[in-house]
Amino acid sequence: MSETALASPREEIPKLGSSRRAGVLRYLAGRVGQGLLVLFGAVTVSFLIIHMTGNPATVLEGTSLPPAAVHILSIKLGYNRSLLYQYGLYMWHVVQGNFGYSVTSDISATHLVLGALPYTLLLVAISLSCAMVISTVIAISSVLATGALGDRLWRPILAGLQGIPDFWISLILIFILSVKFHLLGSMGFNGPSSLIMPCTALTLPILASFTRLLRGSLLDFMNSDVVLSLRARGMTRREIVLHHGVRNAMTTFVQYVALQTGWLIGGTLIVENIFAWPGIGSLLYTSVETRDLPVVQGVVVIISVAFVALNLLADFVVLWLDPRIGRSVLGGNL
Amino acid sequence: MSTVDVFGIRGASLDPNERVESRWRNRSGSLSVGLGLLGALVVFSFVATIVGGSPAHQDLNAALVGPGTGGHLLGTDPLGRDVLAWIGGGIRTSLEVALGVVALSVATGWTVGVASGLLGGWVDIVLMRIADIQLSIPPLPVFIAVSVVISNNMTSLIILIAVFGWVPYARLCRSRVLTERERGYVSAARLAGRTRTAIAFVHVLPGLTTEISVLASLQAGICLLWEAALSFLGLGLQPPYVSLGFLMSEGREVLYQAWWVAVFPGAALALLVIGFNLTGDGIRDLFKHDTSVGNL
Repeated sequence: MSETALASPREEIPKLGSSRRAGVLRYLAGRVGQGLLVLFGAVTVSFLIIHMTGNPATVLEGTSLPPAAVHILSIKLGYNRSLLYQYGLYMWHVVQGNFGYSVTSDISATHLVLGALPYTLLLVAISLSCAMVISTVIAISSVLATGALGDRLWRPILAGLQGIPDFWISLILIFILSVKFHLLGSMGFNGPSSLIMPCTALTLPILASFTRLLRGSLLDFMNSDVVLSLRARGMTRREIVLHHGVRNAMTTFVQYVALQTGWLIGGTLIVENIFAWPGIGSLLYTSVETRDLPVVQGVVVIISVAFVALNLLADFVVLWLDPRIGRSVLGGNL
Repeated sequence: MSTVDVFGIRGASLDPNERVESRWRNRSGSLSVGLGLLGALVVFSFVATIVGGSPAHQDLNAALVGPGTGGHLLGTDPLGRDVLAWIGGGIRTSLEVALGVVALSVATGWTVGVASGLLGGWVDIVLMRIADIQLSIPPLPVFIAVSVVISNNMTSLIILIAVFGWVPYARLCRSRVLTERERGYVSAARLAGRTRTAIAFVHVLPGLTTEISVLASLQAGICLLWEAALSFLGLGLQPPYVSLGFLMSEGREVLYQAWWVAVFPGAALALLVIGFNLTGDGIRDLFKHDTSVGNL
């Protein structure tokens, strides 16, 4: 009697575990596959960008070059080969992390891009963390006091901030803090205080959508039956929000934040330019100005790599936050 | 009146009619503010041109004149151009770009979405993977990179931005075609002898107007920002086009002497974007549809 009664759950448990693992693996494989697809697209786009108007050799040297010199340059750089051949070669080099040499400085483009990347990542990381923390605080406090003055006040303020261009915020910050009161330097990276203005300019516009999404999913959760039963067990609203609501709402939030980084990266490019920040935004801008095509390609691809990597990271975080993922493939009986 | 505290949700009402009415009153707020703001800005842009004269008129004797002096209400830029007049023209340029991008994106998105939803199979797979890729490439770096090869031209700028704008519409149309085709009225239309394409265009798509207009007004705000950002970097529309971003880039150079050159066009741009955002939010709240497709 005890034989069969004990045996069945023992068989059950490893089976469940492996199913979850299989589901998780399938989920991750899908995500990685999609990431690779995106990278492939980005590399293709970066290839097409410079071939859009025909022979890139004419772009490299501007319009001043005589046709014969253009011909020599295209032979030197391989632009006289068939487009498909060039595409294959470019792909092969990109996979090896090779974008060729910068036209203006003879340094490898990969080296230039990787040297500038940490500065941009610093800006993005700090702005994202600030935005996540602030929006979580606002969303929780507004859900805890729905309809109160604070809840009604943040909406118009954040809606206003959302419309304000980050480069305008930057200019106003420079005008107030650097020109008027001489508190902060406005150029380059000289210690942590240089981070204040660019990070403020990047954080403010994204606060609104973050807060709205988090508040929305918190409210959705608060209207669910789970909350009804927790209330029936005597938990207070505050306890439910803090112990159950936040973790539930975080899954959507984390994925949304990762997707919004694309927007933030765009903002970084302009803000870096204003503050002469030594990141990839300034690098992209100068290489566009000097028609340094290998560096332009390198920056576009590295931005996509960073973006895909961040979204994969978000998928891992979601996997950790939400144990239901991966089980659904079993048929939803768990 | 019949407002009770339901599980701590203050203000929840048991009377359905009262609830709907108050929802209407609260929610149409952002719609009317948004539309009012946009209307006021359009009127302002024409008044500004009348008051300030031609945006292109240069007067080096009146360069960097402060606001309110010499008949220049908002001052002048380093070439003596009237800031007020430039803002008036800039608002109209921004709106032209926004309209162009939205029209092009909606048209492309509709076609792709309906094709994807109706045909299914590999067409659907290929189109939606392209949409995924499109959505995952941050647009601004690509805009900056592409500006190596495009010249100062509004049409190519509009096409460029629209290339990144059609995906949310396509996803919306596709998902609605997929869900709606199971509904009873579609079967009825089939029985009445309508073709699938006709059903999609005549019966299903008109129902999407609200959602599309929400997406459209949010997208309009975003592409205004992109246009201004590119011009600000010196890569988008440059004179003879009258762009707010260009004036701000001029203002950035003279920020230490003349704050008004950068601050006023930025404020106009911010108000435009806020106007579009509020309009979009207002329409969404009014009809309470789920428009969480894509990350516009």
